[in-house]
Amino acid sequence: MTNLSPVTVAPPRGRSGWRSMLPRWSPKLGVGLVLIVLITLIGVVGPLLVGDPSTIRDIGLTTPGGEFWLGTTLTGQDVVAQLAHATRGSLYIGLLVGVMATALSALFGIVGSYVGGYVDEGFNLFSNVMLVIPGLPLVIVISAFVPADQRGSWTIAVVLAITGWAASARVLRAQTLSLRNRDYVAAAKVSGEKPWRVITVEILPNLLPLLASQFVFSVIYAILSEAGLSFLGLGASNSSTLGTMLYYAQNGFALQREAWWWFVPPGLIIALLGCGLALVNFSIDEIINPKLRDIPRRDKAEAARTPDPVPRPDDDVVLTVTDLSVVYQVDKPVHAVKDVSITLRRGEILGLAGESGCGKTTLAYAINRLHRPPAEVTTGSVTFHDREGGDIDVLALTPGELRAFRWSKLSMVFQGAMNALNPVISIRAQLDDVLTTHRPEMTKAQRRARCEEVLKLVGVDVRRLSSFPHELSGGMRQRVMIAMALLLDPQVMIMDEPTTALDVVVQRGILREILRLRDEIGFAVLFITHDLPLLLELADRIAVMKEGEVVEYRAAQDMFEHPEHPYTRQLLDSFPSLTGERGSFVRSGEQTPPVDRSGEPTPSGGVR
Amino acid sequence: MRYYARKFAFYLVALWAALTLNFFIPRLMPGNPVDILMAKLSQRGGTVDPSARRAYELLLGGNTGDSLFQQYLSYLGNMFRGELGVSVSNFPAPVSDIIAEALPWTLMLVGIATFLSFVFGIVLGTFVGWRRGTWLDSLVPATTVLAAVPYFWLALILVALLSSAWGWFPLQGGYDVILSPGWNADFIGSAIYYGTLPALTIVISSVGGWLLGMRNMMVSATAEDYVLTARAKGLRDSRIMIKYAARNAVLPSVAGFAISLGFVVSGSIVTEQVFSYPGIGSKLLQAVQNNDYALMQGIFLVITVAVLGANLVVDLLYAVIDPRTRVSG
Repeated sequence: MTNLSPVTVAPPRGRSGWRSMLPRWSPKLGVGLVLIVLITLIGVVGPLLVGDPSTIRDIGLTTPGGEFWLGTTLTGQDVVAQLAHATRGSLYIGLLVGVMATALSALFGIVGSYVGGYVDEGFNLFSNVMLVIPGLPLVIVISAFVPADQRGSWTIAVVLAITGWAASARVLRAQTLSLRNRDYVAAAKVSGEKPWRVITVEILPNLLPLLASQFVFSVIYAILSEAGLSFLGLGASNSSTLGTMLYYAQNGFALQREAWWWFVPPGLIIALLGCGLALVNFSIDEIINPKLRDIPRRDKAEAARTPDPVPRPDDDVVLTVTDLSVVYQVDKPVHAVKDVSITLRRGEILGLAGESGCGKTTLAYAINRLHRPPAEVTTGSVTFHDREGGDIDVLALTPGELRAFRWSKLSMVFQGAMNALNPVISIRAQLDDVLTTHRPEMTKAQRRARCEEVLKLVGVDVRRLSSFPHELSGGMRQRVMIAMALLLDPQVMIMDEPTTALDVVVQRGILREILRLRDEIGFAVLFITHDLPLLLELADRIAVMKEGEVVEYRAAQDMFEHPEHPYTRQLLDSFPSLTGERGSFVRSGEQTPPVDRSGEPTPSGGVR
Repeated sequence: MRYYARKFAFYLVALWAALTLNFFIPRLMPGNPVDILMAKLSQRGGTVDPSARRAYELLLGGNTGDSLFQQYLSYLGNMFRGELGVSVSNFPAPVSDIIAEALPWTLMLVGIATFLSFVFGIVLGTFVGWRRGTWLDSLVPATTVLAAVPYFWLALILVALLSSAWGWFPLQGGYDVILSPGWNADFIGSAIYYGTLPALTIVISSVGGWLLGMRNMMVSATAEDYVLTARAKGLRDSRIMIKYAARNAVLPSVAGFAISLGFVVSGSIVTEQVFSYPGIGSKLLQAVQNNDYALMQGIFLVITVAVLGANLVVDLLYAVIDPRTRVSG
């Protein structure tokens, strides 16, 4: 039953990724394959090597040893010979059902969702109905009506396939629906390829891991169900399977007579085969959803914090980052942030610009120690100069101190239009848990008043407190994120692409709000974006990052007038100009901003 | 509201499909079940009056003068009035009485065992998924071994060890036969004692599936942006794990719980066979062995309706825990 819950399937890469379709080698995969190969050998080669399994001898229930490795049954039949033939029978039924059920689920799942419209609705309804009608009772009823002498392997296989395909059809349908709208599929359709060709050439290869996983699952299901049916006396009558063998063992009171060698081996073979198949399925699942891959365990190296935390140069500075380096400790370590030093002054907006993957998000997360393994801070220091006096060495905080530090001194605004708000709990609960955690002394009424206060600050109706995130527009979600960041009156706010996924009108509103709040409340902002022209307008100073290094770090006005580093000039030139003059990038007032660049899907960097 | 309307409509269609299947299966299969039934009935000295024969023919098909469509309509009418016919193996008890007697046993045993298994699986899966990269990861392959073991095989071995060899639990049955069924402490205590081992075997063999599903969803959920937000907010780990990661990760498992109910009922048939438990599954098998088609059909129908009803309840519950379904339907 491992595959029942619909998995969130990561999109397989485009057409070229054949390599990525192969499972990664892992001990699990190795053990699984060895088990499957061994048992298949028993089923395929075994029957040729052993004697007739039905030969009756006058040596009932011989204990294992000597001529009979695993003893004999009640009627003196050789258990080893029976096992070999029974394994063959079970594998045969498993394969038959696997092929038939996979074909059925592909038909109803892939074809239906590809064709769409009423066909899809109909097929989907049919799959769902088949899914909720309980399988085994149906199988029992069907088998009971088929007279025992006509009940062969094929009958059992057909019945099991008919009752076992529906769950995979649902999974396949969901995946096909998402594939159908991919660009390369649309391109093939527009260029006039026939539907069957689009399905077999464009869609099927991307579904292969999923189909393989469903096939393996069907085989497990079939072998287990067949065993169950046989145990109930409803199995295939003319062939020997592991299930029928167990049936005879049970009816011969094998366990009561302590003849374990008759009862235990067939079940063990089923268990080992099922286990082998499931282990292979793990590896296939890891292709479908790469998040499931094992993370190698490693000893955490203590960050060599050189140089030491910096004492405050003057009261004007709130955050000092010195020589900070972050490395992704993978097979070939990736130096994502290299010796970055920046300072943030009180009430200042410091812009951090750079293209996707330049390390700006990694840097921002490392400041708050939100980076996750395999990312590691290897050198450097982060010092927070508290308004109330005292310097905080952020990298040295204990887990408890770090929790208290986060949000109350330094809060963050993520790309709220995406998934930064928890979709299943209300806005109120998400604001409230900040206060209950950091300000346990506040009463319920005080917390409520504070939540309403911050929502008013960002211009959101307080009635929205009882809403869920999906009920808000993208812009409103972002305002809620900012309200949340204001809750504890922090001294620093890190904003990671806060306006990227919003349309330009909403974007302007939010930016104006940030400037106004900064002026009123006086927090400092580290503003991260790939949009350098936007920073020129918004920020006081700007750091431009390239390949993990800060290549230019100056006042915004200076940078606009005399960009020094070639990369900065390149970044400025890469944005289309509306008038032909680079000066037109500076979007002041109501001037029409350039086209919406919502192309970047998630906060870049890949810290997570 | 649309969500609920759609769900109700779906289950009506599913119910209709099950009734129709029930009607056509005996008609499509080789052999004439009515003749077999009538022969059995007269063996037991039952009076074979024409009206009884007609009732069976409606249920199972046969040489009636009516068209297939008329038979279908009369069959549907009988089903809605709850007239499931008379059992042959327990002649002359009506099928509905036999079912009413057996059903509570199955509901209690399988219901409680499934619920426990779900809860254990979800709680364990939450921890295993949250603490990824620690020794807990090794629990994952271990549970697949349990899931791959044929249920009855495991159950029989447990019976041989725990009941026969060590005598911790009774071998079989639903209660101590010297007691008479009733709502008194002795009887309920006995029923719980007899039910423990069957319930234990169900939990052992099904907990792995829940654990694995929940663990995989936890792994996906902990990589979501809202978990990162929660960490940046400085919340306690336990709160992030429960309110942010697990609260989202559990949704597919709840949806899967509905689907698994069918498997649960199926599993109970084998359980009841192993333990000779006086529930609906053993009645179904008894019906199959005695060619008691009316009882068989009735039980199949009741099982289907029970599973559909439970599915509906889970679907309605799902709308409560996932606010998004209520609007998008």
